[in-house]
Amino acid sequence: MVLSGYEGYTKGKRRAADLAIREEIQRCGTRARNHLLNVHDNAFREKKIAIAKAAKACCNTIDQLIEDVDKSPTGMSHAFFSGQSSASISVLKKLIKHDHDVIEMMTKGVNISNSVEHAFSAGKEEDEIKSLIRQCEQMMTSSRGYFSARATVLDGLRQKKKV
Amino acid sequence: MTNYKWRSNPNIIARLVDGNDIKTWKARQVVLKPNEACAFIIDGRIGDIVSEKIVRNIGGGIGRHIADLMGGTATDRRMLFAITGPVDLGIPFNAAMKNGSTATGLMHLKVQLRKEDIPKLLNIFANSAPLLDRNALVGLIANEIATRCIAPAMANCSNDEELRSPEFQEHLEMHTEVEMRQTFSNLGFTFLRAYISTDKTDQEKLQKLRADLDMATQTEGANADALMERIAIREAATLRRIECEVNVERAKKHGEVTIQAESELLELRKQEAVWEAELARDQGKADLRMKESSHKTAQAMELFEQVQARKRDRVQQSQEHQEQRMEKQNEIQMKMMEMAAAQGALTPEVMQEFLRQQTAQKAIDGSESSSEPTPPMSTSCKQCNAALMADWKACPHCGAVQ
Repeated sequence: MVLSGYEGYTKGKRRAADLAIREEIQRCGTRARNHLLNVHDNAFREKKIAIAKAAKACCNTIDQLIEDVDKSPTGMSHAFFSGQSSASISVLKKLIKHDHDVIEMMTKGVNISNSVEHAFSAGKEEDEIKSLIRQCEQMMTSSRGYFSARATVLDGLRQKKKV
Repeated sequence: MTNYKWRSNPNIIARLVDGNDIKTWKARQVVLKPNEACAFIIDGRIGDIVSEKIVRNIGGGIGRHIADLMGGTATDRRMLFAITGPVDLGIPFNAAMKNGSTATGLMHLKVQLRKEDIPKLLNIFANSAPLLDRNALVGLIANEIATRCIAPAMANCSNDEELRSPEFQEHLEMHTEVEMRQTFSNLGFTFLRAYISTDKTDQEKLQKLRADLDMATQTEGANADALMERIAIREAATLRRIECEVNVERAKKHGEVTIQAESELLELRKQEAVWEAELARDQGKADLRMKESSHKTAQAMELFEQVQARKRDRVQQSQEHQEQRMEKQNEIQMKMMEMAAAQGALTPEVMQEFLRQQTAQKAIDGSESSSEPTPPMSTSCKQCNAALMADWKACPHCGAVQ
C-alpha cells in the first residue's frame, strides 16, 4: 500500500498525514460504492430486486462510513490532537498501526465489492451474490466501527488497552 | 486580513468566485469548515481542492494589486466554493395515478457533493449564474425527475394504499437512483436517498370525509346511547324509589292493620275466652242437669225394674199356683177316673162330662190368667212430650218429674 505524500505523522506534517489517511479511506469507500452501484443498477434493470436492495443497503452503509470519516475530529492546533499536550512516539506508532489496519479492512471491502460485481456479471446464483454483498457490508461496518476507535486514540489515548 | 464569506444564505450550495473581482485594500482570507470545500481554478486549470483550513490571501490587498500591476500573479484566478454535506431538495410534483386520480406532493432528494467532485460544478456554472442554491438545483433536475422517475412510478401505482406502501418508496428510490445517476454524476452530485411525501388524494379526501361523517354519526350514536342509558337508569331509579315508597306505605298500612287486627284479635280472644268460660259454665250446668236427669232416669228405671220384677214374681207365683192347682185337679180327676173305673162307672157320658168340666175349668183358669196382666194406659211427658207409662213418676228422657 502506497500513500503519496504520507510521511508518518512527522512533525509539521501531522495534519496533512491525517487528512491523507482520511481521504484514502474515503476513496476506498467510494471505490466499493461504485462497484455496488453498478450491481444495483443492473440488478434493478433486470428486476432482481433482492440484489438491488442488498446493494443499496450496502451503499448506505458506505455513505455513513464516508460521512464519518469526512467529519471525524482532527485535534487542536497547538496540541496536535485534542486532549493531549504532546503525542509521544508510542502514540504515533499506535496511530499509524491503527490507520494501517483500517485501510487494510477497507481494501478488503473493496476487493469483496469487486467480487460482487464480478459474480453478478458472471451470472452467479442470487444467494451467492447477496452473500458477497452482505460480506462487503459487514466489512464496511467493521471498518466504520474500527475507524471510530481512532478518535479515542487521538483523544489523549485514555484507554489503556490496545484498540 | 479580513474574512471573506462566500455563503450568506443557507440555501446556497456552491458559488464560483472570480479572485480578480475582490478589490479591497485589505487582503481577504476564507475559513473553510469541515462541510465546506474550495477548488481553485488557476489560469483555466483545476488546482487544489482544500477543506478544513484557512485559505489566506484569496484576493484584495495592496500587495496583490501591485503584483497584478507587475504581472506577477495568475491571469485568471477563480475559486469554486461548495458545501460537502448532504443537501435536501424538495421537488413538487403532480402526477396521475393508474386509477385516474391525481397525486400531488413533494419528492425529497438527499444528495451530496464529494470533495473530489466539486470541479464538476463547472458544468453547471458554464450555463448559468455563478451561484447555485437549492432552488436553482431543483430547477435543473425537476423536469427530468418528474419525467423519468415520478410519472412512471405513479403510472404503475394503482391505488392509495400502494402509494403509501414501503415497497413503493423503495422501488421509487431505486428507480430514481438508476435513472438519475448519469445526471447527478455530470453535475457532481452523489445521490443518497429519495422518497416522496404525497398530499391527500381525492379518494383519500373522500375517505376522510366519510370517516369524519361516520365518526360524527358514531359520536352522535354514542351520545344517544349514553343518554338513553342515563334515562333508563333514572327511570329505573325512579321506579325503584316509587316501589320502595309503595312498599314502605304498604308496610306501614300492613303494620297498622296488623296492629289493629291484633288488638281486635285480642278483643276477640278475650270475647272467646269469655264465651268459652260461659260455654264451660253452661256446659257444666247442662252436665249437672244431665247428671240429675240421668239419676232420675236411673231411679225411674230402677223402680220400673222393681215393678217388673215384682210383676214377674207375681205372675210366676200365680202360674205356679195354677199349675199346682191344675196338678191337684188332674190328680183328683185321675183319682176320680180311677175310682170310677174301679166302680165301673166310667161311661162315655161320665167321660164326656169329665171333659166338659175340665174344659170349663181350663177356660176359667185361662180367663183368670189373661185378665190379670192388663197393660197400663200410656201418657206423654209434660216437658218433652215423650211417651210415658201411666205409673211412671218421671220422664226418662228429660228427667222432668210427672
